[in-house]
Amino acid sequence: MPMHTQSWESVGPSLDECIKCNICTSYCPVAEVTDKFHGPKYSGPQAQRFRENGQPQSPDHSVDYCSGCRVCNEVCPTGVRIAEINARARAQAAAEHGIPLRNRLLGRSDMLGKLGMIAPGLANWGMRQGFARSIAEGVLGISKHAQMPTWSREGTFASWLKRSAPNRLRSERKVVYYHGCSTMYYEPYVGKAAMAVFEHNGFEVVVPEQGCCGLPLLNNAEFPAAEKYHHHNLEWLTPYARQGYQIVGTSTSCTLTLKEEAPDMLDIHTPEARDLALAVWDIFEWLRELHAQGQMKTDFQPIDMVLPYHPPCQYRAHHIGSPVMDILPLIPGLDVRESHARCCGGAGTYVYKKEKYQIAMDVGQELFTWVDEQRPVTMTACTSETCRWHIESATKLPCRHPIEVLAAAYGLYDLEKRKLTKE
Amino acid sequence: MSDLFVIGAGLSGLMAAYTAARAGLRVQVVTKGLGSMHWAAGTVDVMGYTPEELSRPVQRPLEAIQALAHSHPEHPYVLLGSHQVQVALEEFTALMAELGLPYGGAGGFGALAHSTSGDNLLLPSAVGALRPAFLAPSAQLAGDMARPEPLLIVGFTGLRDFYPELIAENLAKQGFQARAAFLPLSLLTEQADRNNVHLAQALDLQARRLKLGGELKRLARAGERIGLPALLGLDDHAAALADLSAAAGAPIFEIPTLPPSVPGMRLYKALRARLWRMGVRIDVGLEGIGANVIAANGTAGRVQWVETATTTSRPLKHRAKAYLLATGGILGGGFDSDHTGRIWETVFDLPLTIPQARHQWFRPAFMDPAGHPVFNGGVAVNAAMQPVGADGQVLYANLWAAGGALAGADPIQQHSLEGLAIATGWAAGQAIVRALAQ
Ligand code: SF4
Ligand code: SF4
Repeated sequence: MPMHTQSWESVGPSLDECIKCNICTSYCPVAEVTDKFHGPKYSGPQAQRFRENGQPQSPDHSVDYCSGCRVCNEVCPTGVRIAEINARARAQAAAEHGIPLRNRLLGRSDMLGKLGMIAPGLANWGMRQGFARSIAEGVLGISKHAQMPTWSREGTFASWLKRSAPNRLRSERKVVYYHGCSTMYYEPYVGKAAMAVFEHNGFEVVVPEQGCCGLPLLNNAEFPAAEKYHHHNLEWLTPYARQGYQIVGTSTSCTLTLKEEAPDMLDIHTPEARDLALAVWDIFEWLRELHAQGQMKTDFQPIDMVLPYHPPCQYRAHHIGSPVMDILPLIPGLDVRESHARCCGGAGTYVYKKEKYQIAMDVGQELFTWVDEQRPVTMTACTSETCRWHIESATKLPCRHPIEVLAAAYGLYDLEKRKLTKE
Repeated sequence: MSDLFVIGAGLSGLMAAYTAARAGLRVQVVTKGLGSMHWAAGTVDVMGYTPEELSRPVQRPLEAIQALAHSHPEHPYVLLGSHQVQVALEEFTALMAELGLPYGGAGGFGALAHSTSGDNLLLPSAVGALRPAFLAPSAQLAGDMARPEPLLIVGFTGLRDFYPELIAENLAKQGFQARAAFLPLSLLTEQADRNNVHLAQALDLQARRLKLGGELKRLARAGERIGLPALLGLDDHAAALADLSAAAGAPIFEIPTLPPSVPGMRLYKALRARLWRMGVRIDVGLEGIGANVIAANGTAGRVQWVETATTTSRPLKHRAKAYLLATGGILGGGFDSDHTGRIWETVFDLPLTIPQARHQWFRPAFMDPAGHPVFNGGVAVNAAMQPVGADGQVLYANLWAAGGALAGADPIQQHSLEGLAIATGWAAGQAIVRALAQ
């Protein structure tokens, strides 16, 4: 197998910084609940020595159990990029052993999205059927217990955009919105809430042609396919970046992929990739900046409720702190409580894999117990879609994107029905 | 915007954050990663050795601090005065008692005035050497070598980096009555490849520690005290210690292991939980990389904002009324250097009292009693913990510093890391509260 399908460039040097203190392993939520995984120090900087020497076989197969949560990176005192080393090691193992059909399927969120949209009612029904899920588990290894996302029954986000085009705000101040696959096919209401917030703050929203960010493919080690996606996005989005647009996304994983994951893992460090990365913002990172400049509207209606909020793991890699906690507490009446749980356990498509489902549930226990202790609670919030689905299925409580909460505070959105008030 | 922005989540940073938050300030803490406490023994070393006497441990550290006044006027302890150091330690012991992780000294537990006779404890290390410490978590107190009971050191077969025979042998060589025994690791876990922290978590389960306690009872002879590797519970440590001592029918103590240090992690987690409850934000993974300052001619300048690194090359700006530098020195990562020996403080580029040439960093003798300039030097501060220039003038009106970054002390050589962190962190916190009240 050719080795040039992924790059070690950006993580290699950090290896030498490891002082073998084992702090990473002490905080890794996966190593804590299973001994199928040897933990970050071993799978990361330690095993890496052998990988670097070009050994024919991966020295450590347990690395497949690393969920990519990046707790290890966060606590490491010397800045070793352990999670990134592990991601590349998983890819190398996949290259040696072949990528299972299951992972190829889970990696194609846009294709799955399009397929389900042909008949969303039927697709959702199929996903709920015990026999269909048992077959999926037996044949594909997709856990029958994991809650799969449900396809939107109100059409795609794009179809709504087209329908509502005449109502769009025109303004001098413009922003580009990157919605990603989940808003497109599963949760168009998140996109609607974001549009409402942008426009309420006086921004005209441009939604240019865009493709999947490629993260599910990167996670499942399909580099050539991910590269294709990234090149499309560069072609479509970089021109906007160069005209000075800010490109704002509601999915913390998509924005991270455009900022860092794709360029780093694929070693695409062209001026185009750099310009795009610099223009990409997480929506709350962007709102925080707007607020700091005194330009974010705060004409809120009170929302009287307790809201447990879980910051998704991807924020760790953005290195932007917890921007949601800089904004949501501005809403009167809202008692936002931030979770300090390390990870919900879902970790993207991790929880869907039969051999990992129980680990995902055990890792998430820290969060689920905490949510249970917050009272009275009618819903939770999280910025990342796959985490929301996992948290909903485990806590049996609705889980919203914080942008939906903000849109509701502006009086533009019904949090319960997930609808714009004027629709 | 916060009132106080702390860079560094070691003991000094957290102590300052606590002091300020308790006075009602809004505090944010950022740190690149976790460290310091996680690789220390969890004790509070105030002054284990003086610069003048490196071969014999200090017996009465607070008195030794007073003696420094003449020989080392630039030492942070001297800037504060031994009374202030004592008050800070009192604050710390009160806090830890409140958090259910009580610390004590040579006189036992409780408020500092009662818990210490003023003497250092002498505690066995993982190689059986004696380590001076002023305060220790309750789990280590029964290890004080001033106590008369003979020692039984118990290890676990297959546990790396903890060898009871080595410890017992070295203690015996120093004239103490000590013997070693082993128990199977399967008492703690069925899983392979667990590190100390995972093993400690296993003992958070009561059934396991009762089983272990029963085995210890079988092993111990009448009148012995039992030393175990420091993994007696993580989140349910107090109960684990009580259960084990009761089941074993003997005093039990922990011996700190190689990193990751479970006693250190308990300390970090207890402080962190307290700060969270006070609404302090702790952002791990944010590395301070620079600051924007207004310099002033002749008078003190001001820090406008601090920048932390993000994934894009767009740094994150943090604005606050006051800033505390608590990033540690050359070992803590607060200073960086290049191959020429140029060495600089990484956030504010504050002047350092370290020579800017590598050949001047170290004295020729490794154990030189004067210490090495690279460890002794750092950020010079005044009595209010504000960084000053060579002329003694405050550099920035809204900047303070604490902990390992300070000039004038070599906390590793002097075994004073935690004492310095607590005293200077507390003092900086107090000074900031006073300054913002004006
Ligand atoms: S925390 Fe960092 S330095 Fe410590 S063992 Fe892990 S990778 Fe190495
Ligand atoms: S990314 Fe998460 S699961 Fe993977 S090694 Fe790091 S802490 Fe463990």
